[in-house]
Amino acid sequence: MATISVGSSPLARPTPRMIRLVRSNERLFYGIVGFVVVGLVWEAAGDLGLYRKSLLSTPSLVLTAAIQDFGSGAIFPDLRESFVEFSLGFFSALGIGIPLGLLIGTFRRVDHFVSLLLFGIYSTPKAAIAPLIIIVFGIGLESKVIFVFLLTFFSVIVSTVAGVRSAAERHVDIARSFGASRWLLFRSVILPSTFPFILTGIRIATGRALVGVIVAEEIAANAGIGHYIELWGAFLQTSKVMLGVVILGTFGIILGEGVRRIEKRYEVWRQEIH
Amino acid sequence: MASELALSARGVRMEYRDRSSDTRLVAIETMDLDVADGEFVSLLGPSGCGKSTFLKIVNGLLTATAGEIRLRRNGKGREDAMVFQDAALFPWYSVLDNVAYGLVCAGVSNAEARKRAEPLITLVGLGGFETKYPYQLSGGMQQRANLARALAVDAPILLMDEPFASLDAQTREVMQAELLRIWNAAKKTVVFVTHQIEEAVYLSDRVVVMSSRPGRILADIPIALPRPRALEVKRSAEFTAYAAQIWQLLAGQRAPAAAAPES
Repeated sequence: MATISVGSSPLARPTPRMIRLVRSNERLFYGIVGFVVVGLVWEAAGDLGLYRKSLLSTPSLVLTAAIQDFGSGAIFPDLRESFVEFSLGFFSALGIGIPLGLLIGTFRRVDHFVSLLLFGIYSTPKAAIAPLIIIVFGIGLESKVIFVFLLTFFSVIVSTVAGVRSAAERHVDIARSFGASRWLLFRSVILPSTFPFILTGIRIATGRALVGVIVAEEIAANAGIGHYIELWGAFLQTSKVMLGVVILGTFGIILGEGVRRIEKRYEVWRQEIH
Repeated sequence: MASELALSARGVRMEYRDRSSDTRLVAIETMDLDVADGEFVSLLGPSGCGKSTFLKIVNGLLTATAGEIRLRRNGKGREDAMVFQDAALFPWYSVLDNVAYGLVCAGVSNAEARKRAEPLITLVGLGGFETKYPYQLSGGMQQRANLARALAVDAPILLMDEPFASLDAQTREVMQAELLRIWNAAKKTVVFVTHQIEEAVYLSDRVVVMSSRPGRILADIPIALPRPRALEVKRSAEFTAYAAQIWQLLAGQRAPAAAAPES
């Protein structure tokens, strides 16, 4: 590579493009490297006969399965089913959980009225009520959405309530001192203080919603990625089982990363209020 | 200087109920205070003497157990505006929106509030920093914005609660001189709470010295240093004499009893 001086200082050697690219995306770069290394070890271990490929598959076999099922489109209905379940459950949990959390955090009476009830449902392992949900709502979309909702709803509420309570007294005092109305106090102090907490709740909720989708599908379903994993597991098609797992993992990473990026934008002043 | 009173406090008393022992804790014992229009008065005392509590009572953030506070009504808007202690800006608002906040609280539209906030940002020397956020400002600049917010509501009385306490010594001196410049330009009555003797002497027309808890007024000392005061005045003999006099008062207060926690 030719060295072209661009800096004013003759000592400043220009950094090669590749290295600059890596530096600006360090997290991503090393993440991918880690991924590839583990994949290679897995592959090599399979080829060396350290375990039975039919039980744990190998990355290349998973890739073959992916090409096959994505090529034929056989996996698309399952993907769509799971995605719809996830979205409906997750967004209804946000849509109800955030406003409810704000109400609970703001009004003592609302808190007293619902907290025992909510805590009761929260403490119950959701798997315990899954059979009931399936009896009442069937094995279709509804029961999955409700299951996902139940799993995610509480983390959203708990974080939102914690956010409202985190509003610093000195910030509330400022609003009161200048004679802010209750509504303005809410808009200018409570809501911004709560926002980072809501994002944390959302980040936790994405993981839980994903768990909800798969657990619900594995209990009883006729479509979805959980069902796909369950079905091919029964046929000992471990490459397809692994494919399902990889798809879930990828989806989880993308969601988590998305929320993390939004969180990062608020990190600067978030530190300041704690 | 107009002799009309901007603030008049009579028999102000503040008690708290201590829940653990169910006893009454007296924060302020009975306090009378008059502040003339346009006057700069400091409340000086050790931590826990009730000086900040008194300011919050005047501002309406706290309700006194007994007593009466009268503020001169100017017929429009608030009579008083508070300049809070450190980290008193909203970290989620820009400088402009922070300064405009008091006006928004008073029902002024966002656009109008911002327009009216502009000249005050310039007055406190923050021109060009309107779109910056508090975390991007130094401590001194944050307190300038804090001051501008209180000035923006155009209340005749400024209540300042140890606004420079967390600044380093150099910045504090700069801010003290700046405050006098702004006070002179804005023509406000100021009640300034501090625990620093030289700060109180340098800034004030009168220094009201308070005892430690329960808080009451020990002395009311007029400061006859000529104005405008340059920072050099702090090295004058008169200044030192005032500071020594107040120091003596406070030293006599250092009772053997356990130190009261900061209010």
